[in-house]
Amino acid sequence: MTDAHSANEHHFTLTERMKILSEGTKYDSCNQSAVCHAFGPDGRCIQLYKTLLTNACSGECTYCPNRCGRQSTRTSLAPEEIAKITWSFYRRNTVEGLFLSSGIIGDAERTAEKQLEVARLLRGQGFTGYIHMRVMPGTPLYLLEEIADYANKFGVNAETTSSVNYSEICPNFDYTSDVLQRMKWTRDLINKKRREIGYGGRIVGANDTQFVVGALDEPDRDIIGTVDKFMVEYELRRPYFMSFDPVPSTPLEGHLPSPKWREIRLYQTSYLLKDYGLKAFDFDGVYDDNGFLLDTDPKLLLAMSHPERFPVKVNSASREELLLVPGIGPVSANRILRSRPISSEKELMQMGIVLSRARPYIEINGRRQTSLSSFMGAGA
Amino acid sequence: MSPRMIAFRDNVEGVLLACTVLLQHPDSALLCARNMDDLRSKMEFSGAGYDVTAVGFRPTADCSVLVQKLLGKRKGRMSGRDPDVEHYIGLVLRHSSCDPAGLVRFICSCEGNADMLYSGKTPTGKKYYSYMRDVSRSYHRLSMFARPDLVNGILTVRTDSPHMIGDMFCSWLSGKNPDLPVAVLEKGTAWIGNGRYLGLENFTHIRSSLLGSLSFSRGPDDIDGLWDVYYDSQLIPGRRNKKHAQHLQPKSSSAISAMSARDRYKVERGISNCTLDNFTD
Repeated sequence: MTDAHSANEHHFTLTERMKILSEGTKYDSCNQSAVCHAFGPDGRCIQLYKTLLTNACSGECTYCPNRCGRQSTRTSLAPEEIAKITWSFYRRNTVEGLFLSSGIIGDAERTAEKQLEVARLLRGQGFTGYIHMRVMPGTPLYLLEEIADYANKFGVNAETTSSVNYSEICPNFDYTSDVLQRMKWTRDLINKKRREIGYGGRIVGANDTQFVVGALDEPDRDIIGTVDKFMVEYELRRPYFMSFDPVPSTPLEGHLPSPKWREIRLYQTSYLLKDYGLKAFDFDGVYDDNGFLLDTDPKLLLAMSHPERFPVKVNSASREELLLVPGIGPVSANRILRSRPISSEKELMQMGIVLSRARPYIEINGRRQTSLSSFMGAGA
Repeated sequence: MSPRMIAFRDNVEGVLLACTVLLQHPDSALLCARNMDDLRSKMEFSGAGYDVTAVGFRPTADCSVLVQKLLGKRKGRMSGRDPDVEHYIGLVLRHSSCDPAGLVRFICSCEGNADMLYSGKTPTGKKYYSYMRDVSRSYHRLSMFARPDLVNGILTVRTDSPHMIGDMFCSWLSGKNPDLPVAVLEKGTAWIGNGRYLGLENFTHIRSSLLGSLSFSRGPDDIDGLWDVYYDSQLIPGRRNKKHAQHLQPKSSSAISAMSARDRYKVERGISNCTLDNFTD
């Protein structure tokens, strides 16, 4: 930090600075709850202390409250202070880890070095909790390698789907070299760390990235297509979607906020890509004319747009066919496969299948729910 | 010839050994005990006239070998989040309604198919699977919402779970805070983790009434106010998804600690932006 910055900061207490920097991350919230959450390998939802190292940023991202030149209070936390707050929260079990992001302090290299200081300090003090680091676009490989030694999860935000869009909202960086190249490196580093550590040691989370939804006019079709492509090319497992909210005194302050249901539908679609083996082109029939998702469960829309795939015969269908049925997820599909033959709906219910959703799409030993069309003779 | 009784210890090893013997002698009666003293006292009531085989009271068996012998090599779990068979049995045994003898009979009825433990296809299978999930959820709930207080320098938590998970939680909490002694109060027992700082065994249990006599030199770490500042700073009123927030901060878990209760209150009522400054400006 420059002396000028330090001079402006001297009157803020630690609590005040913590509040300002935590508030700086709230627009980056991807879960619409109060506190940032992550999911542990056991499926448990864990709370994280989410903070910026500093909100003084040299970037000019058009949607960001911390963008350079915007009139706002700028401050920072020293690595020792972040470590102290993290420990305090961690001991009281209010959080199980730290989510550390930052404004860009001059350049990506210097920022990553500062972030690393926090991680080094915490690990040096025996901190075994979860550390999630958002690395800046353009972070050099040697620093990413060191981050991989300390963090449980790290990744760079793609924000959007193409170079052209990216240059529009993040004019200081290059999509191909600063983002995509870094995603390739993080993928390789994660694989390397997982091989080294194995499953018994520290958790090494999969590659992840974040998209800002609604800052540009890009349709959901493009976002889903990009997520699918990233899953193949960069072994992305967890895309995060951040609904755009216009921030006063930014170039996009006059834009409309993205509806929060859009974020939810995108998450649902991403789970269908991640856990159900579907591909982006499978959703071609569920978008509206402009390529946007509707505010309905995408799996239900998918089933309704392909009536020829149903009913699925519960006792002979493949796992892939079962997974297409609304109300049947990967776990319940496994249960069906291992428990065949199934003789009644009650058995399905005991296995956790949501029958009210699944009933129109399944057949058990030749029996199925009669649809109105077949009752009227049209479906015969 | 007198009828046979299998006496087994109420742990994973005891259950697995009892299954092995029960498969050889299916007509045997079953008796579960916590330890040898408990067994002796139970035998005085119900053991007379039986030919008793006691298993699991001496740590000799390899549980993974026993599991393979009883249920085959295949891993029965249906999802990555399901525990393996050993851990499954361990969790079921902690359930407040668990009858260990019933569990032994259920495992024997699976006829070597581990899938039966997880599929929920039979009513008994469903019951034990639910037991396992109940205990697992109860433990996760504690891990998520318990907020330990520093009492005499000891991180202290009181559990409200009906299941016996105090030792599990204590072990987790002490692993998380290796530089502090930890106490988990469960009914009349206090489980102590990192007990070396208190001149005790590293992991042990004492009567909860004795906890007040222990102390560790560390100052109070009052962060309640700091946490509230952080929690409040994260909210965007227009983006709040109340249903999702309720799911992540369930009502049933809010009574575990005062901090959790406050967080839940904010989920329900929102965060007030009215402060004293509004009146003094």
